Amino acid sequence: MDTLLTAEIAANSPRYRRRSSTFIDGVHDVPDEKASPMAPAQLYSTMSGRLFHSGRIAIVLVGLPARGKTHISVSLSRYLQWLGVKTRVFHLGDYRRATMGPDMEVPEDYFFINASATSVMLRQKILKKCREDIYAWLNHENGQVAIYDAVNPLASGRRSLAKEFQKHDVQTLFLESYVTDQNILEENARSVKISSPDFVGMDPDEAAKLYLKRIDMKIPHFETMNEPDLNYVKMINAGERIDYNNVSFGYLSTRIVFYLMNLHIKSRVTFFARAGTSSSEDSFKADAPLGDEGRAYAKKMADTLLAHREAERAAVIAAGGSPAPLKPLTVWTSTRKRTVETADYLKNLGYRVRQRSQMSQLNPGVCEKLSETAMRRLYSEEVDKHELDPYHHRYPRAESYHDLAVRLEPIILELEREHNDLLIIAHESVLRVLYGYLMACDAMHIPKLKFPRNEIIEIIPASYQNEAKRINIPDVHIDMIPGSPEDIRIPVPPSGFVSPLSGLGTPAEPATSMSKVVTPSILTPGEKAENPLSRD
Amino acid sequence: MELARPSRKTNGAGVQVEDTQICVVMVGLPARGKSLIAQKAQRYLRWLSIDAEVFNVGVYRRKGNKQPSADFFDVNNAEGERMRKAAAEAAVTDMLNWFRKGGIIAILDATNSTKARRRWIKERCDKEGVETLFVESKCDDEELIMSNILEVKTSSPDYEGQDPETAAQDFRKRIRNYEKVYETIDKDESDLTYLKIMNVGKQVIINAIQDYLQSRVVYYLMNLHIKQRSIWLSRHGESEWNVYGKIGGDADLSPRGEAYALKLPELVKQSFDPGEDHPLTVWTSTLKRTIATARHLPQEYNQLQWKALDELDSGVCDNMTYAEIKELYPEDFEARDQDKYNYRYRGGESYRDVVIRLEPIIMELERSENILIVTHQAILRCIYAYFMKEDQEKSPWLNVPLHTLIKLTPRAYGTEKQVFKAGVEAVSTWRGKGSVAKHEDPVEGVTTSLDV
Repeated sequence: MDTLLTAEIAANSPRYRRRSSTFIDGVHDVPDEKASPMAPAQLYSTMSGRLFHSGRIAIVLVGLPARGKTHISVSLSRYLQWLGVKTRVFHLGDYRRATMGPDMEVPEDYFFINASATSVMLRQKILKKCREDIYAWLNHENGQVAIYDAVNPLASGRRSLAKEFQKHDVQTLFLESYVTDQNILEENARSVKISSPDFVGMDPDEAAKLYLKRIDMKIPHFETMNEPDLNYVKMINAGERIDYNNVSFGYLSTRIVFYLMNLHIKSRVTFFARAGTSSSEDSFKADAPLGDEGRAYAKKMADTLLAHREAERAAVIAAGGSPAPLKPLTVWTSTRKRTVETADYLKNLGYRVRQRSQMSQLNPGVCEKLSETAMRRLYSEEVDKHELDPYHHRYPRAESYHDLAVRLEPIILELEREHNDLLIIAHESVLRVLYGYLMACDAMHIPKLKFPRNEIIEIIPASYQNEAKRINIPDVHIDMIPGSPEDIRIPVPPSGFVSPLSGLGTPAEPATSMSKVVTPSILTPGEKAENPLSRD
Repeated sequence: MELARPSRKTNGAGVQVEDTQICVVMVGLPARGKSLIAQKAQRYLRWLSIDAEVFNVGVYRRKGNKQPSADFFDVNNAEGERMRKAAAEAAVTDMLNWFRKGGIIAILDATNSTKARRRWIKERCDKEGVETLFVESKCDDEELIMSNILEVKTSSPDYEGQDPETAAQDFRKRIRNYEKVYETIDKDESDLTYLKIMNVGKQVIINAIQDYLQSRVVYYLMNLHIKQRSIWLSRHGESEWNVYGKIGGDADLSPRGEAYALKLPELVKQSFDPGEDHPLTVWTSTLKRTIATARHLPQEYNQLQWKALDELDSGVCDNMTYAEIKELYPEDFEARDQDKYNYRYRGGESYRDVVIRLEPIIMELERSENILIVTHQAILRCIYAYFMKEDQEKSPWLNVPLHTLIKLTPRAYGTEKQVFKAGVEAVSTWRGKGSVAKHEDPVEGVTTSLDV
């Protein structure tokens, strides 16, 4: 329904591109040859490259515009890729834009059953190109799951689609987002209409109603799924209820339902922040409390965050957006003392804080606090192995990043569940993995991600891709800023703060090296965030 | 809608460690597989180290009336009604006490067939800050119900020692009594969190899931079926490394191991019940010795290789004998004996790690029907522990002899085990806790062996 959003007509299909930076959400990336052969939370691999003993699968979306289909497609793709299932999303809307070019309007009768011959031809041309790409992905690019993001409004059309896929030896699972709750619809519509010039100056509620009415006019025939002979999952009212009809599907479909039980379609942001520092000797086992400077840091971080949220809200209102109050903010910490105490300031201001034991840091094992020289002397073979695969290798008695990613699975699903804005205060190793999930990073990049203490990371979801922003915390002492080293090989401790670093208890990389780290404030020039739910 | 939750959820200070407690309430007529589902869910959760307990109202009822006839379950039988309510009351009270001591997931196994009864349970749990998840198993497939009736009349304590025909008749009558008052979960109860499974998972409705742990339980239950089936387990044939007493590696079969591989097809046939003859699906690991062991099985047996079935990775100790490990890594050798479940080999895995990587296998196994798994000692220990409810202290020490086929048949009241020996000689690869650093012969009466 992007014709309603003239600002959004950018014919940028194919959306798939080589990754240019870890700061861009990689969910639509074409994996390059240097990418890790294993996905971040992949438990095993097979000769065929296909997992869960499933063959090739088409997940076909069903639902009218403003039902969150694109958001569901992209989120599911992100999760399946994280598990190692080779997944790609095909947005039919991209193909329509690419075929018609930026200046052509979708014909009025485009979605009609009795559409004119020219509209039918246009429709078929667009469909053909999209299907060709789907088959190319499944047959020649080693893909396992193709997610087909389109309206698919009619039962007859869905049946013939399933038949056609079956001819190509592809199983079909339909995934419908069905909304009966007018409030959810209007909220979705409100968030869509902001970017459309058609509605400028209109009362937001009026605009939302008008928008929904237009959808009904454009697509007058829509049949919700009720085909007993097809495999389908129907999400009703954004997951309040899920109906599942399983004719012949394997494990992967229940895994998908598991994920969908935790997914919602509301938009909210996630912030990442580091814990403050300790002034006493800290180590993985000691679990030291915050020092004075750590507490001062906690306050500075919280004040910066709160001011940022207020400023964002003011900007939305200034741009004609909704004057609704801010979403509540929930804070998650690990059960480690420094993360818990860093949240104390916010807790005293009345924010809800939850401790999550799964979010404790990477266990550094026997190498904690060893200098690099000592490590090379004691575990030279391990250091060599680590250099080959810093993501999967674990030092003696230690956890690997892969172990951490698997351990964090419940957190990832709860992250999807959370309806409030969320601040996560955790060790850098945990932030790396969570960021790796939200931004679909390649496993090999995850250990190298940087989260200096003078920045709060904000991850803004959009239906096509998440966007990461860095918010500067002013006046953080320079010795406190540096991140932990990307692994547990550590240079000799600098003098100064006793423990500028969290749990690995490892001395910092020299602060001067920070100048080399590029951390632009908005990281994706040319990659404008799009509104959730704005596409079909 | 955000409901105001009792104190456990918001303990004033606003800080909470994750401590969701869930009461899984079974709903459904008799012979719909409720007890089987309850047992399995408990086993699965415990296997994942989540504290779980089943509270079976029938057990409480039998305290008052050991083997009641169907009349006892008639709605018009006031005395029966009173006693059944008292049994439910006692079970719920015990369950809530168990939650107060820190239990995580309780499964309340009863018919809970009326809306009033379900509302009453929800209110009791709400008061304690315990979440409720109703799980209804609804089934119209007569054949399935009949096979369940046959199963129940032979294994339920209610009919122990009775004539099977009389038992089946009485049981059918009991079901009819329940049918008179049975109310399926419907629109009136849309405020409940529930999972409704129709015809063994062909249709599923999931309503108002509140948190991750609930979604996790639902996910598991969706993978279950209640069809009768068996699982066959075997280690690979004796390998060359077994002969030298070395662990891990990717060695070929020894001549005796080869003899076992040749014997396996016959052994499988021998394990079939009379009239049972169907192809099995064979799962092996990706290591040579399991693939070689399965290679003489009939052509029509579909074979799949799983990386997740590979032997526990012993890291730096791979390809070593226990004597070599003790000499090179004496501390590790000792640490492993102290807590074998949690001990992780340097650069390798622990049993706990293996359980995590086996979880998809267990899910797939639950979904599947007749499967023969040819894999390795540690992996078999974990799979066996799952089906037989062995605890974590014991499972890593189980003796899993070579050249032995084990057939497990899950039943409503536990898993049945049959053992078939190939009669082909093999070394022992078992080692007792705190004992010498070499493989030894299991001690009769002391060692828990899978083959007894």
